[in-house]
Parts: sequence; structure tokens; C-alpha cells
Amino acid sequence: MSAERKRATVRTLRYGAISLLLYILLYLFNVEILARSREGGWSFILPMAIAFLFSIVHGGFTGQFWELFGIRARTTKK
Amino acid sequence: MEISFIDLSAGSVLLLFVIGFVGGLVSGFIGSGGAFVLTPAMMNLGVTAIMAVASNMAHKFPKALVGAMKRHKFGQVDIKLGVVLGISAEAGVLYGAGVQETIREVFGKAGSNLYVSSVFVVVLAIVGGYVLRDAYRMLHSQDPDQEGKTRLAQWVQSVHIPGTMMYFKSIDTRISILFTLPIGFATGMLAATIAVGGFIGVPALMYVLGVPGLVASATELVIAFVMGMGGTIKFAWAGFVDIRLAMIILAGSLFGVQLGAIGTTYVKPYMVKIVMGVIMLLALLSRAVVIPVYLSELNQIEPLAPSTIALLKNLSFGLLLFALAAGATIVLKALVKGMREHHAKLAGRNVSLPGTFSAPDAVRQLTPAGGMERVMLVTDGSEYSEAASHEAIRLARRCQAQLFAFSVLATPDYESPLGQGMHGLEKKATVDRLMEVRRWAEAAGVDCEILLGHGQDPYTEIVDQAEVSDMDLIVMGRRERGDLMRLMLGGTAAKVIGHAHCNVLVVPGGARIDGRGIVLPVDGSPNSEAAAATVVELVGRCAAPVTVVSVAVDERLLDDTRAEAERMRDRMARSGVEVRVEVRVGHPDEAILACVRERGADLVVMGSHGRTGLDRLLLGSVTERVIGRSECPVLVVRL
Repeated sequence: MSAERKRATVRTLRYGAISLLLYILLYLFNVEILARSREGGWSFILPMAIAFLFSIVHGGFTGQFWELFGIRARTTKK
Repeated sequence: MEISFIDLSAGSVLLLFVIGFVGGLVSGFIGSGGAFVLTPAMMNLGVTAIMAVASNMAHKFPKALVGAMKRHKFGQVDIKLGVVLGISAEAGVLYGAGVQETIREVFGKAGSNLYVSSVFVVVLAIVGGYVLRDAYRMLHSQDPDQEGKTRLAQWVQSVHIPGTMMYFKSIDTRISILFTLPIGFATGMLAATIAVGGFIGVPALMYVLGVPGLVASATELVIAFVMGMGGTIKFAWAGFVDIRLAMIILAGSLFGVQLGAIGTTYVKPYMVKIVMGVIMLLALLSRAVVIPVYLSELNQIEPLAPSTIALLKNLSFGLLLFALAAGATIVLKALVKGMREHHAKLAGRNVSLPGTFSAPDAVRQLTPAGGMERVMLVTDGSEYSEAASHEAIRLARRCQAQLFAFSVLATPDYESPLGQGMHGLEKKATVDRLMEVRRWAEAAGVDCEILLGHGQDPYTEIVDQAEVSDMDLIVMGRRERGDLMRLMLGGTAAKVIGHAHCNVLVVPGGARIDGRGIVLPVDGSPNSEAAAATVVELVGRCAAPVTVVSVAVDERLLDDTRAEAERMRDRMARSGVEVRVEVRVGHPDEAILACVRERGADLVVMGSHGRTGLDRLLLGSVTERVIGRSECPVLVVRL
């Protein structure tokens, strides 16, 4: 594995750990989060912030997740 | 209005995750479809229509942002067009969401469900039918992927309405915003109704405005982000977003999207269309069978017996699960089969690892100058790469090096309608471009191997490929300056220089190396030593006057700076290379560029510290600034 690929793997795993932590927090505080969401108004910031944070972190994790198992898009060589 | 969130048991969390994954898998494979599967799935779990659309939107818009940023790295997004359309789409979203809320208030939950289901049925019937027709045509056509500007687009581009004209880079002409407004509005309206707006947006961009397909599908992500964010704010302001649902679906969906998209690269395009059409029509049936239930609840038809209602609801859910299961099975099977065949083919050739260039014939000696036997040209098919392509060929011929041309495409994970077809077009265009480079090389008497790879970020793939394929030099073009977004993301060339283990030659558009002169900036560091060794080797192959330039940031450092430059002159003289010395005071990058201009040089050779990340951001890099502003090629030498 090249140094760059190793770096990408470490980055992927780091994102995975943070993503897991975020989901645990969402589970632990789901009642409070829903109560605030239901209020509407300026509380809209809470679900928006969660959506941004989760998609960037979880997206960082899943982006190269399958590569860890050698599943990559097909290359064309001629 | 009473807002109630559904209770989530472990079973329903798992079900949502699996639905998200399978929805994502299908979505990644056919380029769209998340929403038309996910929204009904949530409704089947007991979530009201408005909340299902709201939660779906909340998981989509940040994904669109991430996707747009990724596509921008590949230079495919027209931000201005995306923002202009996004703003009018926003108006459509607000209007559409208002319609949703009014229907819910006037007709209740059943009315809202009926409205969303009916729109689904109509849209899926039109798009699903169109997709199947397209699949049929592809199956029976020689070259169905040919893109051409429609007559409508030609007319739209020819209309001039004073005071409304705006220039867009992607179509390289001015068009009236009176044409973009209704497109944006309709896209937004549909998005607020069924959480998929791209069914209107992408085809309209292509066929009405004449935007190239690839740019259309990438720019749609900007529209999706702008309007998705606005729509989510609107729904969240009213308290309708169940962020738990959105995030559980997101968790599964992102895994699925990636896998489905990888799958598309292993199958024939018509296969993708068939899967897409079949799933859309099954989803349509799933929604259509429950319409009588809603009509009955609204007393528009004879009331249905509770057993009939239960049967229809179960049938609807069953159809949806069948659509997802069928789609997922086809995708996974195609992926496994395709990967196995591809690997078997490569193993049969027994030439190299899958996805890499042919290995060197023998173990090679390391040289202080980094060698020049294997040159990897990186081309993105744009005009920015053209000068780099020619220079790489000339260099390979002069140094009798092996030439390898490499291109990287984004792994096709964008969830936009027609996205897969666009990827096919992009791939074909890129391979054609690589073949053209090979023809140029062969005309110059240089053999050239070509490779097209996929990745999330071009720089990772370039650096990785250079390392595993044992390259001595990467040659790449430089894109235009002054693009704020690109500056924020960091240019690919800068990242390659930061991470690559071999030397990198960055060639600006229109530049070429004719041996008019080499400028060697020195700062006393080991990097300068490495750069000097490379210059000695280069001059040995192609004679050119060399100027060593040393820059003092302050007058007080002038003596030390001069001493350093003179030391370098003496060292190079011992290697048989006579150089001229220049010592300047000022900002290093400005002084270096001034020296290049005054000496009429056509190559700068400089060492790099290879700084990356925060370090580079805080300290900046003289090398990077010189590369960004130089009009001649810059060879960055790594230790």
C-alpha cells in the first residue's frame, strides 16, 4: 500500500470513529433534540447543524470505505 | 397543528438503515431514486407525508454540498449558474412547501398523502417511461451517447432581452434570466413536493439552456444544495424535521450510494437504465395502489373496508420492498460479476496490479536528481492540460523516458438524475482525450501507456499512482487563478506537490520549454541542493543558461544571501555547469518571478519543503505562489 493510500485509510478510519461518536450522541440526546425540533422557529438551527455535521463527517467516512475492502471503480487501461 | 414524531424501536431503526442503504445503493447505481424510495418508505412506517419530505430534504441538502464540492475539484461546476437557478428554485420550494402545508391544513393528513402520492405517480410514470425508452434505444443504437445542442437551446441562447442578460461560463454565452427563472422555480416546486427536483433541473439545463450534460448534472448539485437548505429551513421552522429519521437514512444511504456508483463502472449503460425504469415503475405501482385509500379517507369514493385498506397498504409496502430488493440484487450481482471479470482479464494479461501502469522492467537505481526514466502526464482533458501534454511528450523524447498518461474521474457517486449517463459520457470523452495524447506521442516517436482511474479526490489518486507505478516525474497543467472556491479547497497541483514523493513539473497554459534559460532559486536548504542536482542533470541533456537567484527578505541578510548563492555557483561549477548569480531583496516569490522575466527564462527549478495541511495554510509556500503566478513551467524537486 502506498504512503498516500495509508494516509487515506487512516483518514477514513478517523472519520468513522467520529461518525460513530456522533450517532451515539444523537441516540443519547434524541428526546431533547426532538423537543427542540418540534418548537420550530429559530430552533431550526439545531436539525440543520446536525444535518451538516453528520453528512460531512459520515460522508468523509463512507467516501473511501469500500476501498478498504478493495472495492474500487473500474479503471481503463490501454 | 399537532406535530408528532413516530416512536423508533430498534427494529425500525434497523429497517430505516437498511432502506437507506438499499435506497442509496439503487440511487448510486441509477443516478437518482433515493427520494422516490425513501419518502414512500418513511410514509409506510407511519411518518406523515410532509414530515417524510421534510426529513428527506434534511438528509439530502448537505449531501448535495459535499457532492458539489467534490465535483468542483474536477472543475465541472458552474457555480454562478447553480446559484442563480438555486435562488429561483428557492422561491419554488417556498411556494411548493406552502402548497403542502395548505393542503394538509385544509384536507388533513389523507389530503397531503394523496397529493404527494399523485405527483409521485405522474412524475414516475413520465420519467420511468422515458428511461425505459432510452434503454431500448441504447440497446439498438450504435452511438446513443452523442450530445448535441438542441434547437430549443440554440434559440434560447440567441434571444436578447435587454436588462436581463447574464453571462454563464459553462455555456460561454449570455442568456436571459427570464429563461432560468421558470426552470429554477419548477425544479424547486417539485423538490418541495416529492424531494426530487433534479428530474426537471438536469434535463432543462441540458435541453433548454444548452449546458453540457456533465456540467448540468454537477451544477444541479449546487441548485439542490441551495434549494434543499431553504426548503429544510422552511420545514424545520414549522417543526416538521425529524432529524433522527434523516440521519439514520443518511447513515445507510451514504454507504449504499458509494457501492452502487462503483457498480455502474462495471456494467453496460443500458443495464443501468433498465434497472432504473423497472424500479421507478414498481415504486409508481406502490404509490398508486394506496391512492384509493386516501380517496376513501377524503370521502371522494365509497368508503373501503378496513381489511381492504390493510391489504392495499401491505401491498404498497410489499411492492416497495420488492422494488428495492430487486434493484439491490441486480446491482450487487452486477458489481460482483463485473469486478471478477475485470480482475480475471487483468490477471490474464499478467502485466501489473489492477489499476496501475506497467511496472518498470528492472529494479532501478535512485539518483540524487530523481531520475527521468518514467514520466507520468496527468491530464484532465481541459485546455489547461494541453501545454502539459505537449511538454511531457517533448521531455520524454528528449530524455528517452517512458511516457504514461493518466486521468482521474470522480467516482460517480452523485445522486442526480442522468448522473450515470453523464459519467459514461465523461469517461468516453476522457478516454478519447487520452487516446489523442497517445497519438501525439506516437507521432513524436514516443510510446505512451494510458490509464483512467477513479477516486474521491484527484490528488490522492495522482500521488498514489505515481508512487505505486514508480514514476520519476509528474507533469501536470495549471488551472486559472483567482477562483475563490478553488483557493479554499486548495488546487490539485498544490496538493500533489505537497504529497508526491517524486518531482512535479507544472506547466501553465501556452507555455513550453525551449532551453532559453533556467532559473534556480536557492535558500541554503537541502531542497535547494536537490534542485541544483536536477538542474545539473537537465543541462546535461539540454543545454540552457542557468541563473541562480537568492532572495534576502531584508537588506541586513544580503551578505549571507549572496554567500549562499556564490557557494551554490561554485558547487555547480565543479559539476561542470557555469551559472550566473543574482541576489535580490524583497518578497521571494516576486523577486524570483521578476528574475525569470528579466532573464527571459522558460523554466524554474525549485525545491519544495512539501508542507501540507495547516502548516502550509499558515506559512504559505513560496513554491506554490511561484507556481500560481509563473508564466513558464516550474519543476518542483522533492528530496
